Amino acid sequence: MKTNVLRLCIASALIATTSAAGERPKGPDRYAITGARIVTGSGQVIEQGTLVLEHGLITAVGASVEVPDGVWVIDGSGKVVYPGLVDALSDIALEKSEASGDAPFSRGPLDRPGTTSWAAAADALVLDDDRVEAWRNAGFTSTVSSPSTGIVSGQAAFLNLAGERDEDLVVATPVALRVNFEPNANRSFPGSLMGVLAYIRQVFADASHYRVSQTAYAREPRGKRRPRYDRALAPLAEAQVDGWPVLMPGHWEHEIERAVRLGREIGVRPVVYGLHEGHRAAEFLASENVAVLVSLKWPEADEDRDPEAEEPLRVLRMREQAPKTPAALAKAGVMFGFYSDGLESPKEIFASLRKAIDRGLTHESALHALTLGPATIFGVDDRLGSLEAGKIANVIVADGALFDEDTRIETVFVDGAKYEIRKSTDEGGSP
Amino acid sequence: MILTRTLTILVLFSGAAASAQDDVIAITGGKIVTLAGEPIENGTIIIRNGRIAEVGANVAVPAGAEVIDASGLEVYPGMMDAVSRLGLTEISSTAATVDMTELGDYNPQLTAATAVHPSSEHIPVARANGITHAVTAPGGSGGFGVGGPYGIHGQASLINLAGWTVEEMAVKMSVGMVLHWPTIQTSTFDFSTFSRVEKKFSEVKEQYEDRVAELEDWMDAARRYAGESEKETDLKLEALAKVVEGELPMMIMADDARDIKRAVQFAEEQGIKMILLSGRDAWKEKALLAEKNIPVILGPTLRLPRTEDEAYDKPLTAASELQAAGVRVIFASFSSANSRLLPYEVGNAVARGLPWEEGLKGITLYPAELFGVSDELGSIEEGKRANLIITDGDPLEIRTEIKHLLIDGVPTSLDNRHLELYEKYRARQ
Amino acid sequence: MNVKRFVWTAGLVASVRVIAGGGAAVAQTMVIRGGTILTVTNGTMVNGDILVEDGKIVEIGTNLSVPEGALVIDARGQFVMPGIIDAHSHIAAESINEGSVAVSSMTGIEDVLDPTDINIYRELAGGVTTSNILHGSANPIGGKNAVIKHRWGSDAEGLLFKGALPGIKFALGENPKRSRGGRRGVPRRYPATRMGVIDVIREAFTKARAYRKEWQDYEAQKAHGQADLVPPRRDFELEPLVEIMEGKRLVHAHCYRADEILQLLRVAEEFDFRIATLQHVLEGYKVAKEIAEHGAGASTFSDWWAYKMEAYDAIPYNAALMTEKGVLVSLNSDSAEEARHLNQEAAKTLKWGGLSEEQALALITINPAKQLRIDDRVGSIEVGKDADFAIFDTHPLSVYAVPQKTIVDGKVYFDREEDAERQKALVEERAELLEKLKPATEEKQ
Repeated sequence: MKTNVLRLCIASALIATTSAAGERPKGPDRYAITGARIVTGSGQVIEQGTLVLEHGLITAVGASVEVPDGVWVIDGSGKVVYPGLVDALSDIALEKSEASGDAPFSRGPLDRPGTTSWAAAADALVLDDDRVEAWRNAGFTSTVSSPSTGIVSGQAAFLNLAGERDEDLVVATPVALRVNFEPNANRSFPGSLMGVLAYIRQVFADASHYRVSQTAYAREPRGKRRPRYDRALAPLAEAQVDGWPVLMPGHWEHEIERAVRLGREIGVRPVVYGLHEGHRAAEFLASENVAVLVSLKWPEADEDRDPEAEEPLRVLRMREQAPKTPAALAKAGVMFGFYSDGLESPKEIFASLRKAIDRGLTHESALHALTLGPATIFGVDDRLGSLEAGKIANVIVADGALFDEDTRIETVFVDGAKYEIRKSTDEGGSP
Repeated sequence: MILTRTLTILVLFSGAAASAQDDVIAITGGKIVTLAGEPIENGTIIIRNGRIAEVGANVAVPAGAEVIDASGLEVYPGMMDAVSRLGLTEISSTAATVDMTELGDYNPQLTAATAVHPSSEHIPVARANGITHAVTAPGGSGGFGVGGPYGIHGQASLINLAGWTVEEMAVKMSVGMVLHWPTIQTSTFDFSTFSRVEKKFSEVKEQYEDRVAELEDWMDAARRYAGESEKETDLKLEALAKVVEGELPMMIMADDARDIKRAVQFAEEQGIKMILLSGRDAWKEKALLAEKNIPVILGPTLRLPRTEDEAYDKPLTAASELQAAGVRVIFASFSSANSRLLPYEVGNAVARGLPWEEGLKGITLYPAELFGVSDELGSIEEGKRANLIITDGDPLEIRTEIKHLLIDGVPTSLDNRHLELYEKYRARQ
Repeated sequence: MNVKRFVWTAGLVASVRVIAGGGAAVAQTMVIRGGTILTVTNGTMVNGDILVEDGKIVEIGTNLSVPEGALVIDARGQFVMPGIIDAHSHIAAESINEGSVAVSSMTGIEDVLDPTDINIYRELAGGVTTSNILHGSANPIGGKNAVIKHRWGSDAEGLLFKGALPGIKFALGENPKRSRGGRRGVPRRYPATRMGVIDVIREAFTKARAYRKEWQDYEAQKAHGQADLVPPRRDFELEPLVEIMEGKRLVHAHCYRADEILQLLRVAEEFDFRIATLQHVLEGYKVAKEIAEHGAGASTFSDWWAYKMEAYDAIPYNAALMTEKGVLVSLNSDSAEEARHLNQEAAKTLKWGGLSEEQALALITINPAKQLRIDDRVGSIEVGKDADFAIFDTHPLSVYAVPQKTIVDGKVYFDREEDAERQKALVEERAELLEKLKPATEEKQ
């Protein structure tokens, strides 16, 4: 990822606006939170500490930090300070895409069905998404937002959830390529799971070949047939060479294994998302050194189902044990992040998290999966994900332990801009 | 091809017909399993005018009788397929050849026999494996399934598997009214698109209740019609009135336990005689079925379990479980092309616990009793029709061969399309 | 790393180990004692013993000594036959057809294997130990197959029959003609006639020939030391076809009518390869001579007929007549239900065609093994072969035969008595799980 040209933006935090509210007045640029319990997210917990943030970055954090002159001091006694949380996969702040029913008819792999690998989330942002504020009010300072339709949907971007203009949100792009195993609905190729997987294999092979032939042609075109122009292939080739995480779906154990094996075969770094049966694949994932994204939308029975229909035990087991997956992954040493998977509010997200904690996930591991875990997976751990000097000032101040039910998030900093969370807001405040 | 067939049968029939009328046929030397007492070793059957005249160990053979030597062989009543589609379908995927199910949900006035194709290749094929007579019923869907769409599909007919015309074949034109009960299951097979469909429960429930209410309305209308002295003829109600008046049983096809239970309740409320068809989950309601004396014409023994976790052999043990609980179990193929495999459905049930004689009666005596023709069919007894098979062993066992077959006392050819093609191509050099 | 797991509850795993003699990962020494052994290739041994070590048959004889610690399986009064091999199956796969294109050779069953399909277990309960999982019949040239062993409880990789020659599915006749119907602006897929079906195949192999040449030229140039070479684009659709021409991939061709069977044999000969098996091949008896001359095997149904026009001339004597005319014949299921009683299907050939018992048993054991080129490993009870067995309580060629145990690679994967216990455990587990899941739904409200 480091060899790519990254669009690293330090948000102009001075005039940060909320998405739907009115204009905000210009606030201070330098803060110090003193006397608070600081959970750095990188292993260290400071019982009584100070955190200084200036011009969008954390400049100091520790037990005996001197408060610089002229900073706005926030009394942190009785509060707990955490790194801002990351929703590891969403479509927040993304333009809505057209219905897939209008997809063009595809006659075979060369028609590149469902492939929009060039589509970057960073280029299709809309600030006017209620979720930006709603998520931020609950302590989510970032998300990885990605197009999600078709087979190779496009390029995900790591976003901070605050900004005045669309571009202000982008911390890094591209951070991942998203792949779905979705057959075409219009009865053209590929119409089956088998066809989708075969297509993925072919298109990534074509990408390698593209790279080789473009390079050779650029070096010396004479005597060679000119390579076909194919805009779908360059991003795939980059993903192969630069080791982008390629997000591939898998819920059941055999699906998870399938995604990893396919990823290896096509020469990319697979990151599996879904993971309902992840607890059964934990050892496999650990031995393969594969990171995953765990859906917080725990599987549930269909509401309008036959109440007396006998569901397979396999499904009941999976449903009962799914919240155990995070603890099992943590125990096996698998790197993972959490994502909201369409949950409608942070309230639901936290309720989901508490289920995982009930089933054995430690608070520490839970926090990791919401901060440094996803930051590492998406290659931005050198600048985000924990409270360390030099990192981006994405900070949250809570009135108690983060995952306790009655804890309130009081203040959120995104790129160093402060957001006070009003008690009256339904969506925000209480996790 | 069909012309050759017709000629072959012509020859056999013309010859045999003459002797059946005037002469006598004697089957001698075989072990006779009468199903009306102990088997008779080395017994004799005398057939006169198509009927069994005498059966016994020491029966004299009249002079001039045509003798069929059954030494070393066994004689059984001809097998009866209690629900088949014989004559109603030729090639299931070719609609022009299929006459199983009409359009519309309520067609009690239709009768299977009116559409039976006497020259169907399936008939000699079934016959060659020992099926001598069968009930053919409307409502099937073709393909490999047992069931069919919802509705009252018409009346089933009992036919002998021999005869120039349906009139000659018919034993009883109407033996029961076929009703495919609506289902509360959300996962069903959609026959129009030929794929499995998953529906919302609330929608299914609503449609289910609507349909039951409609059925009740139809029954009420039929009851009213039956009671009226002066009325305009309504063919549908006239047909349904036969059920209301107890003349015809209602043959209700249902698989899910809830559907079965509701159907039983319906039959009771309506005061009609019910026969359960297919009954995949009948074993779950065995106590109820036994208590209410509802016989079951069981769907294929050789089918997959209902759910992922159901015992792998549930469909195989269902027959014995029902029989042990006191339910009358009868077997059927629900098919045309596979009618010939009926004895092996039974064989599999016997392998998993059903007593052998119960199994055999399930495709001979019991269906005859069920449809009110046991005075004519179902066992080897004096006065009954001579529908008989002579085999080289247990008819439920796969390798057993049918050596001779008689329908109405006429030795009937075992020749069929398959045998013909076999012999023709065997001769190719 | 392949992680093998049993899907039964923990409590039952313990008891399974006692009976099966070891967990999934450990091979066990085993002696099957006192049964009537139907070897298929070397006659029948009454009151015979089989010694198994490391998943292989080590010795067959009477009164063999039992090594210390060996698991003993009492087969007295029972019949031991080779595990049944089903040459045409669609279980354990999450998709079966890629019918959107006429040639879908780029797809493969291996990609979509589902090791959790209960039919794997249900077929074990019918004596099946090896299955040829095929792509469907929607395409003249379909996708690649996967040969699996019924190692219930293993992951997808663990199911694969390692070393089996890869295969691919072709389809002739009505099914490949019958694709998308031209509704709502979706164009109909070529072909719509049998002429077109055979054309698709010839066209594909013509392309494959050119593709092979392209690569051969490239390899030659490379060998000559030519610099700055760009290899040709890998085409996953054409690669399997090249493999076919080189004899490295077996063609399993779904076909019905005698004329289309002959057409395909000639096309294969035109492109210098042989069809490995004709599948269904219901009119095979009409051209048995030609099939035998070509060297194709035939894998057919015992008695299905009249469900399609092309199945109207199907006869239950097909298997026997083709056998008589010198064709290597197997019986298959093409159905998760039928696969559970292939022994009964084989029995039908005793009556319909007069095959001997040994010939009938061969139809579901050594013959499909030969057709799949795995007969060095399975298909008969011989020293050195895999310890795959189906144990019945009476001779398998009887409607009354009930499978008692099924063994794959020397491990008991199905045990009728144990299954009853397992059923009880499942019922208990369901009740427990439903109880555990209940508070969750109430809480949500």
